[in-house]
Amino acid sequence: MPLIRHEPAVLADRPRASDDLAALSAGLSALAPAERRAAAHALGAWAQSAPALLGALDKETEQSVRSALLGALARVGSEEAVAGLADCLRSEDAWLRNAAIEELRAMPEQVAGVIAHLLADWDRDVRILAVGILDTLRHERVEEWLLQLIDADADVNVCGAALDVLAEVATARAEAPVAALLERFADEPYIAFTGKLVLGRLAREL
Amino acid sequence: MQDATISADDFQRFREYFYRRSGIQFEPSKRYFVDKRLAERIRATGCNGFRDYFAKLRFETSGAEWQALVNEMTVNETYFMREDYQFECLIQSMLPELMAHKRPGEPLRIWVMPSSSGEEAYTIAMFLLERWPHLAERDVEIVSSDIDTRILAQAQAGLYSQRAVHQLPASWLQKYFTREAGGWRICKMLRDAVAFTRVNLNDAAEVAAYRGFDVVFCRNLLIYFDDASRRQAAESFFDVLRPGGFICLGHSESMSRISSLFRIRKFPQAIVYQKPLEGL
Repeated sequence: MPLIRHEPAVLADRPRASDDLAALSAGLSALAPAERRAAAHALGAWAQSAPALLGALDKETEQSVRSALLGALARVGSEEAVAGLADCLRSEDAWLRNAAIEELRAMPEQVAGVIAHLLADWDRDVRILAVGILDTLRHERVEEWLLQLIDADADVNVCGAALDVLAEVATARAEAPVAALLERFADEPYIAFTGKLVLGRLAREL
Repeated sequence: MQDATISADDFQRFREYFYRRSGIQFEPSKRYFVDKRLAERIRATGCNGFRDYFAKLRFETSGAEWQALVNEMTVNETYFMREDYQFECLIQSMLPELMAHKRPGEPLRIWVMPSSSGEEAYTIAMFLLERWPHLAERDVEIVSSDIDTRILAQAQAGLYSQRAVHQLPASWLQKYFTREAGGWRICKMLRDAVAFTRVNLNDAAEVAAYRGFDVVFCRNLLIYFDDASRRQAAESFFDVLRPGGFICLGHSESMSRISSLFRIRKFPQAIVYQKPLEGL
């Protein structure tokens, strides 16, 4: 009979559950990527593992392991882990930046603690990426953060990115700030186009 | 009194958001379907109209309303031969590639997750028996898992309604089923061939027992997960699969939207995802 049945007990050996933070952290330097991934996954359950995970992320070159490290940092969710994920926005590596954004988007409560700093960062690219976090972040202050940004930011690209998100989330309170932005960047066709789109929708809803 | 009217603007705004979050696209022809369910959710949540509801959906930190809406907007049903182009793809495209890398005597291993009432696992078994000539020389293990033990018991019992078997070729129905008072019972040979197991995909320790699979079918499950759980599931599937192994998702799901761990493979019959051969 070529279709054979194996019961779960013999499917694979269950891995040993390590209860030693130091041993798991050492596993992040194992030779085999599968072992490093397993260590990263396990460390995701340890509140104090952020320094080890971030240290490994700094050195790791195998993408599947980096992915596991980022997921583990998100599960840890400590202040240090979130700051580490936010730091990835400064990376030269586009994959790392995007992967960190994906993780941060799913952490609304923790992101609320760092987003104001990111939106006020000296680096315009970081501010644009921070707007990218807000794109699908489930948090009641998303519109407020975006309105503060378009009110204060002098960079047209940052404001354009914010306006993109506002096109979906803006409510009546966005009307005046968006109108002011249109006035401020009257010569920028993209701002004019998207701003009018937002104001048009708001007008129909009122 | 709540106004649950959905304007054309509202519909457009909602469908863009829903697509971005879920990958499910509602054509304008689905407007009635969408409006009706949105109106139901607006009433159920006590929201004051679409805008109020959309804000709740968009910003609610727990994501509970998003989940409730997804449940309403998706069709949760299974039957034999559902999305059978993927089984064609298994036979015609995935298996030839997998066989090229298999050692003699090494079994082919297929995992169906979630099992639900077993239609998918049994369909795969029938496809292999009927359509894959190499079955005579290669052992195949099919494991079908679910978090719900009641549905697994149902799968093991193998009794199905007329509706569940309506797409099966008559010859397969005759060959592998017997008519009973409660419906159609799948034959003992197939019931014995599939291992039904309980597993929680969100529990990494439980999934760690599942390794070395060549193909995973995980169709129409991840849509019900939040973003973080979806990524966690993708990580788990990566470890479950052998290098070069394939994962098949439901027609509205896309691994590219979840994780960059897998390669997209566009076969003539279907798009599936592959763990890189050099991966681990």
